[in-house]
Amino acid sequence: MENIIEIKNVTKEFKVLNRREGLKGSLMDLFSRDYKIVRAVDNISMNIQQGEIVGYLGPNGAGKSTTIKMMTGVLEPSSGEILVGGNVPYQNRAKNAQEIGVVFGQRSQLWWALPLIESFKILKDIYGVSDEDYDNMLNLYRSLVDIEPLLHKPVRQMSLGQRTLSDILAAFLHNPKIVFLDEPTIGLDVSMKAKIRTLIHALNQEKNTTVILTTHDMGDVDALCRRIVIIDHGKMLYDNDIEHLKGFFGSYRTLKVRPAGDIGEKAKLLAKELPEFSVTADDEWISVLVDEEKSKVLDVLSQIQKNHEIRDMQLQEISTEEVIKKIYEEGVE
Amino acid sequence: MKKKSFGFYLRIYGKILAQDLKSKMSYRADFIISTIGMIFTNLAGFISFWILFRNFPSIHGWGYYEMLFLYGFSLVALTPVQCLFDNNWSLRMYVYSGDFIKYCFRPINLFFYFQSEVFDIKGLGQLAFGIGTLAYSWNKLGLAFTPLMLLKLIVFLITASLVMIAMQNAAAATCFWIQNSFYVLDLVTRFKDYAKYPITIFSPVFRFLFTFIMPIAFIAYYPSLVILRPDEIPLLSWLSPLIGVIFFYLSYKFWMFGAMKYSGTGS
Repeated sequence: MENIIEIKNVTKEFKVLNRREGLKGSLMDLFSRDYKIVRAVDNISMNIQQGEIVGYLGPNGAGKSTTIKMMTGVLEPSSGEILVGGNVPYQNRAKNAQEIGVVFGQRSQLWWALPLIESFKILKDIYGVSDEDYDNMLNLYRSLVDIEPLLHKPVRQMSLGQRTLSDILAAFLHNPKIVFLDEPTIGLDVSMKAKIRTLIHALNQEKNTTVILTTHDMGDVDALCRRIVIIDHGKMLYDNDIEHLKGFFGSYRTLKVRPAGDIGEKAKLLAKELPEFSVTADDEWISVLVDEEKSKVLDVLSQIQKNHEIRDMQLQEISTEEVIKKIYEEGVE
Repeated sequence: MKKKSFGFYLRIYGKILAQDLKSKMSYRADFIISTIGMIFTNLAGFISFWILFRNFPSIHGWGYYEMLFLYGFSLVALTPVQCLFDNNWSLRMYVYSGDFIKYCFRPINLFFYFQSEVFDIKGLGQLAFGIGTLAYSWNKLGLAFTPLMLLKLIVFLITASLVMIAMQNAAAATCFWIQNSFYVLDLVTRFKDYAKYPITIFSPVFRFLFTFIMPIAFIAYYPSLVILRPDEIPLLSWLSPLIGVIFFYLSYKFWMFGAMKYSGTGS
């Protein structure tokens, strides 16, 4: 199969001024030549094939956005090569733009004051989409989501969910080879998230569009991505199937307990009592990640029960979320 | 990919404009209030001008109607920058918040795409006011109305507009380097108020400043000399169309240079 994106040994460095503190410091900064080099992306290589949905993951500040910006042509790599659909994005920004679609979760690219259908018509002209392709696309959209209520509504009056949906539809309108989705489900409710995942999946199936998805929501990853790429501190940590990833950490299970009393307080206590385990808490449950090769879940449970009254418990296979979290914290090895 | 033609951009602009006007009309109160505001702004400017001339019948050999001509000329010349390039005022906010990146992903000219987003309809009131003033003073000055004169007027109005647009572009583009570029933009806008006076009333230092550094003398003074004082036209007046085009081109290049350097904020 043909590679639609080829990234070879790409590094991106930024020159950052070493800032000083205080008013005097900022005055001195004006004349300062004291720069440090920050490596946002460090020697990354990957190939992506037409039609793949790739989850591009990493903690905040890992270098995800920088990579996306290089693939879309906004940034020039410091070294290495990027080819997107055979183009060098930075050198042929306009040509590259014709072949890609971009959605930034919270930043609408549509005309704020215009009804969606008018935005579509202008985009049709900008990208030179033929009448036939345009009509086919709209019909496809109609079959996938209920767009009629959106079409005649100005974007400024839409809810965040409607706007994100509209932005995604707009990004696919000219049938690009690649669509970059940067946190498309951020801030959305559960049913909207599901709707958007279904839409992305259907468009990928129907048009064989390559999708690069960055997200912090593992629900997105589980629903859409077969392959994931994880980076942190600019370095590539992982690039493989999601199944393979779970195999790595197969011996991990999550023990969830609901103790009597305040969950937050108890979680802090438990974290102290069980220093060798990762302890997290949400509104209802305290989760303890257990490596079954090292210790038994039941032992951990009885240890907890010694000091705390437990009202409820459950046992979970490891979720993608926890795998990713472990990788962020410890790396693959 | 072949280069997009001028006609292509004109068509896109027409579509955006038509839609934009449609949506603006739907916010009727907003539209009416801002139009009234614009009328009062112009009226206030005109009244202060009138009071000035009741006390001084002429300034440095420039009579009332000649000054009025200059005034009307500058109003008309400022219309394009007001109507078509008003988004320059928002540029620094887009850059600061990182939203500017949304303009970087379309296969069309970035400068065009950014400016096309806003059409400020208020400028049209100013245009009407300026044309009225211009026609009135033209009549009172007893200037001939021949096709040649009209052609001169149009050419030099375009020149003056280009200079003003260039100054605003350059001022707005400073936000790609400095954070609070509002002051630069505000400064340039304030200086343009001096454009409606004949440059000869200023001291040599300001004359130099307004001609070569902050070229507001090209907004009304030099171009209108061609029509008002046909016997003593300085070289700079004849050169002003060329200078206008050059200024505009340079400001465009400066703006684009800043925009291409832009890399957005983290997300």
